[in-house]
This record gives sequence, C-alpha cells and structure tokens, in this order.
Amino acid sequence: MTAALRLDGVSFSYGAVQVLADVSLALAPGERVALLGRNGAGKSTLVRLVTGLARPAAGTVWVGDWDTRDHSPDVLARRVGSVFQHADQQLFARTLEDDVAFGPRALGFERSDVAGRVARALDALELGAQAREHPYDLPPALRKLAALAGALALEPALLVLDEPTAGLDRALRARVTRALLERAGRAGAGGGGAALLVITHDLTFAAELLDRALVLDRGRLACDESLAGLLGAAARLETLGLLRPPVAELSTALDLPGRPIRAADAARVLARVAGGRADP
Amino acid sequence: MTRLILERVTFRYPATEAPALEDVSLEVKGGEVVALVGSVGAGASTLLLVAGDLAPRVVGGRLEGRVSFDGDGPRAIVLPTPWTQLSGMAFTVWDEVAFGPANLGLPRDEISRQVDQAVVRLDLEALTSRDPTTLSGGELQRVIVAGILAMRPALLLLDEPTAELDPVGARTLWKLVRTLAGEGTAIVVATSELDALPAITDRVVWLERGRVAATGPAALLASDALVVANMGTTVAAVWRAAGLPPPYPLTVAHAAQRWERR
Amino acid sequence: MTRLHPFTLLAIAGALPALAWILPAPVGGLATAVVALALTLTPGASPGSTNTVTAVSPGSRPGLVVFRTALLTAAPFWLFLLLLHDLPTTIAIGLRVTTMVASFVWVVGALPPPRLVEAMVAAGWSASVAYVFAATLAAAPVLRARARRIADAQRCRGLSARGGLAHRLRALWALALPLILSALHEVDERALALETRRLVPGARRTSLSPPPDRGAERLARWGLVAACAAALGWRLR
Repeated sequence: MTAALRLDGVSFSYGAVQVLADVSLALAPGERVALLGRNGAGKSTLVRLVTGLARPAAGTVWVGDWDTRDHSPDVLARRVGSVFQHADQQLFARTLEDDVAFGPRALGFERSDVAGRVARALDALELGAQAREHPYDLPPALRKLAALAGALALEPALLVLDEPTAGLDRALRARVTRALLERAGRAGAGGGGAALLVITHDLTFAAELLDRALVLDRGRLACDESLAGLLGAAARLETLGLLRPPVAELSTALDLPGRPIRAADAARVLARVAGGRADP
Repeated sequence: MTRLILERVTFRYPATEAPALEDVSLEVKGGEVVALVGSVGAGASTLLLVAGDLAPRVVGGRLEGRVSFDGDGPRAIVLPTPWTQLSGMAFTVWDEVAFGPANLGLPRDEISRQVDQAVVRLDLEALTSRDPTTLSGGELQRVIVAGILAMRPALLLLDEPTAELDPVGARTLWKLVRTLAGEGTAIVVATSELDALPAITDRVVWLERGRVAATGPAALLASDALVVANMGTTVAAVWRAAGLPPPYPLTVAHAAQRWERR
Repeated sequence: MTRLHPFTLLAIAGALPALAWILPAPVGGLATAVVALALTLTPGASPGSTNTVTAVSPGSRPGLVVFRTALLTAAPFWLFLLLLHDLPTTIAIGLRVTTMVASFVWVVGALPPPRLVEAMVAAGWSASVAYVFAATLAAAPVLRARARRIADAQRCRGLSARGGLAHRLRALWALALPLILSALHEVDERALALETRRLVPGARRTSLSPPPDRGAERLARWGLVAACAAALGWRLR
C-alpha cells in the first residue's frame, strides 16, 4: 500500500543555513503522527515541503504517489489539507460557511458536494451555530477552528496541522481532538482514514490524539517511535526541548501498569488498581 | 505598596448591551500572583484591560463600579498576539525593548540598565542586534515581555504569555513570573495552561460569562466545581474520572503522596 | 547614503521632484529623473535584511529591486500620458512623474522608520507625531510578510492564479481581502499596545541614539531649499 506521505533523504537550506538534513520518514494511510521539536528545529519547513510550497534541495517528498516537485500547492491540495500557524488571519468570506467552502469550490467540486463537505466539517467542529456569522465577528479562537474546518472540508488523505491548539482553551482543544479522531477514523480519499501529521508543543493534546512521534533536532530526525514510548523517558525528552505532560508523569509517579499517556486510560487503570488489591 | 482594587466592576464594550464583566471584585497586592481562568469570552482579557487602564479609557465602553491603583511604578499589559505589539519604530531588539522606557522619558543610563536586565531575564542576549521583524513567534513573545519588564511595572498584566513558546520556554517564563512576584511586582495572568498554575500562583479567579464564579487559593484548581467544568488540573481530572473520592490531588507530587498513603 | 541624516534624505527626496517641476522641461525633468533613478541604484537604497532567511527569494538581486520598483510604478503613467498627449508633452510630464515616483520609492527604502523617528524626536517633535510618519513607512514590510503567508495558505486551499481574467480577479480578492481585514482588525490591538508602552500624545521621549546631524548637512539642506526657491524665482520672472 502506498504511504500517505514519504520523505526520502530530504534536505533543505535557506541560503547558507541548513534547516533539514537527510530526513527520511513515512506515514501509512490513517496514521496519526506528532511532529515535535524545539522552535527552529525544522518542523515548519518540513510542512512547507509537504504542501509543495518549497522544494527539497535533495531527496524526494512523496504525497501518495505524487512527487511534490511535479505539482503546485493548489494541485497538492487535493491530497493534503493544511492549516498553518495564525490561520485566523486567512479568513475573508462574508460568512463562516462561505469561507469553509472556499477550498472545495477552488478544487472544482459540484455545488451539492461542496455543501455536503462544508456541513460535515462544521458539524465535526461543532461550529454549526456560527455558520452564518462574519468571521471577524468571532474571537480568534473560533476563527482558528474555522480554518481547520476549511481543511477538513477538502476531505484529503493527509492532514498537516501546525500548532492547531495554540490559543485554544481546554474545551476547544477537546473539540479539535474529537473532530480529528473522527476524521482519521472515517473514509478519506482512497477509502482509508486520513493520515494526520501534527506539529504541536501541546504534549497533552498530542497524547490524546496521536500514536507516533517524530522528533526533529537541528534539522535531523532524532526520534521515530511510539508517542507512549517517547513520553516514558523524561531525561531524553528534556534534551530534545520537550517536557513530559501531566498524565505521563502521573503514570510514572504512580507506577501505573501499561504507563498510560491518555487521561481516560489513566483514569481507568487508576480505578482498577485503586479498586483491586495489588497490581494485576 | 502596590495595590489594585476592582470594586463591583461592570463593563460593557461600546455599542454592546451584554456586559463583558459583571459585578467583578478583585484585589491584588504587590508580590501576589493572581491567575484568571475561564473559557474563551469569559472576560479574562477584558478584566486585564480594565486593570491596565486601557478599558474604558482607550477601548471605549461603559464602566460601573470602582477601579483604583496605587503603585511605585506603571501598570502595563502584555497582550496575546506578539506581532501586533511591535512598535515598528525599532531597528534592533535592544531598541524595541527600550521603547517603553524611552517613552517614559527616563534618562539614558537608567534605560540601559533596565533594558540589559530585561534582556538577560528573557534569554535574549544573542538576539539584541537582530531586526525585530525577522524574529520567530517565540522569540517575539519574549521580546515583548522584556519590553514591558524594562518599564519596571508595579502591576504586570499578562494575557496568555506562553502561547507562542515551546514547553521549555514556557517553563522559564513561569519561573520568571514567580521571581518578579518575589521582587514585589503585583501580577495578574490570564492563561489556559492550568497545569502550570499550582507552581506559580497564589490565587485563582474563575470567570464565567463575565462573572466571578469562584475564587480561592491554587487548590481551587482541584475543587469539584472547577474539575467538573474542565477548569481543573489534569491530575485532579484524572483522579475524579477514576472514581476516587475528593479532595483530588492538585499536582503529580500530591497524587504520589496520596498514593503512598493508601 | 545611509549615513546621511534622515532630514537630509527627506530634503533630497523633496527637492528633486520640486526641481523637476520648476526647471524647464524636458532638460530639467531629465536631469532630476536621472539623479532620482541613480539614487535607487545606490547600495543604501534598500535596508538589506541579511537576517531574514525568508526574505531571500530566488532570482532577485537586492541592488536592482528598488530601481525596478521605481520603473514599474512609473510605467503606467507613461502609458496613460501617451494615450492622452503628443510626444513632447508626454516626455516632459513623464520625466517629472518619474522623478517623483523614483524619489518616493528611494526614500521609503533608504529611510527605515526607526531612524526617522529618532531624528524627529531628537529635533523636538512629539513622539506620537513621529510615529504617524514612521508607521506609514513601516507598514509595507509587515504587510508584505503577511501577504506572503496568506498567499501560501490560500494556495494550499486550492487557489490557483492561472486561468482567465475573472479567475485571476477572484484569486486577487482571496489574497487582498484577508490582508486588509486582518490588518484593520489589528489596528485596535496595536493602539492598545502602544498605549501600554506609553506612546501617548505629548510624550517627551528620550532619544536613544540620535543620528548625528553634521553642520555641513544642515547647510546642504538649507542650500537645497534655497536652490529650489531660486529656481522658482528665476522661472517666474
């Protein structure tokens, strides 16, 4: 099966500064992956390469079976839905639902098809009540959700998100998590669920949504392993500029079997251990 | 001694009937850190603007109730979006940080001292001669904070100060908040990083639709009311979800202690 | 060039167009246009952002950017004039307009707002008045960076600029409107930020590193003003 995304020995530089060096990775369809690392480690550059906004100096970026060098970003948008930082600044339509419809319309879908996609996207993010509002009448947090809805409406095989929870409160972060879990589980283009590649500093959010972790350190891929495994080792996290989130810390401190990293899992294990006698 | 008092403050934005703040009372003294928690639109940002003398004076709108401030320094606010706070009048990061103090008309050597100290505190030494418009979001946020600190505010108001920072950067900033409080600055911070609060805040004010729903020491973040409203620490929430009885532990350390004793 | 005092730069940028219109066409216009365009080619014509990794776009040579901008901005005027007037008039007016455009484009590039503000403050102007001047000059790079970000985002949503005129216009709308909306929307926040940092009307700001104003430059500035006045007097007699 073709990978949803594959990088083969990709390197990239801005002028004299090498930002990515020989990065190779692959995402299977429907996989949910966190892209982590310090600011300046190369994460945003990697996203630019995936969306076709930049071309690798060396190596190849494959989105499905497309080489990104062969297609412009607007064509790649058929396969990659992306939301960058400060996406609240990209809105311009008169109503929220018009803005969400922008992408599908630009890709040339039929009107009824567009309406369906918009409805599903707004529904997933619980934005139905704000559908007819002017984007700038809404707080920036909701505008961010609207930008995400715009990407969901493309119903792509791969979703690439840069800090989707920045500026969101707990409740809105939970909404984003639910929407993305649902989207990854659903049928995207090609019949599999959408693959997710998410840049985030919010490791609690990452733990709730994502399974695998790719860590960039000074342009190189320092880690490619399960998120649970990565969050288990506190010392290594710090050297990569990351801090262990509360649930993972709690799991370690209480020596919970299975070392759960998700709140619901931790609660379940905690209940079992507290209710039962010794560890099962 | 620095003191900020809000007495039964109700505030409405211009041309808006529904109040953004309703009957809010709050007192903050020098050396205290008060955290405002609440969902988007609950009024935390508005409260900071009122405390900072920007609402209604600059923003417009109507205010009822009383706001009084006494301090041996200015009050200043760090807003949530760093790039809108750049002065646009500075060549270098150093000049950007010096912008506030320069506007206060301080003598040049005093400006130098305050700017240098702020630069060190926010880890900006390597960036002082950079053009501010070329900085990343995280660097920019630290520069803006430094620019406010260089004014030696007696009351420091922070609106989501860690939004653009990575986890290590955020931890450094929270530690700095504690340090500043130790030096006598009164600090009010609005944030959704609830798990960071127990280590740094003296008091928590929970805002819901413009009203104070609850206020208390940091342990409030482990109270049933807040945890149910998804405004508690993650540890407390997990404890509750596990069906374990209150009082819920506030932090991992508390949880570990309780666990050992069982 | 960049070591000249900001007021000197402004004086030159003002004197050139003035002389272009005062002196007899087409020689006067030609001379000043040549000088103005030559200025756009000087190394100080554009503050080189050597720190910005993202400002380097492939295929651009920084030295010619200002020059090209000046020519591209003046070009439509020439076209317009050609449609309305005969050749001598077109050349006469065209050269004067070119001088104006080139002078303006040059001074916007050569005079970074911070230096202007410092100079104004050092000369005793109120800080907020200085800011109004500076903000006008500063708006361009900020908006340019944001325009690029918005363009990237819209392209990744399927926006393509290829196709017929109607399509291109719609594309322009999708790029221009968010830029304007977000910029307008931020005006309030910017005002709050400046207020909290005490940039208020009547503020007496401490000057941080005022650009040196040499006596020779001051003399030269007044000389320019005098030259313009003399030229005017000579033309009018």
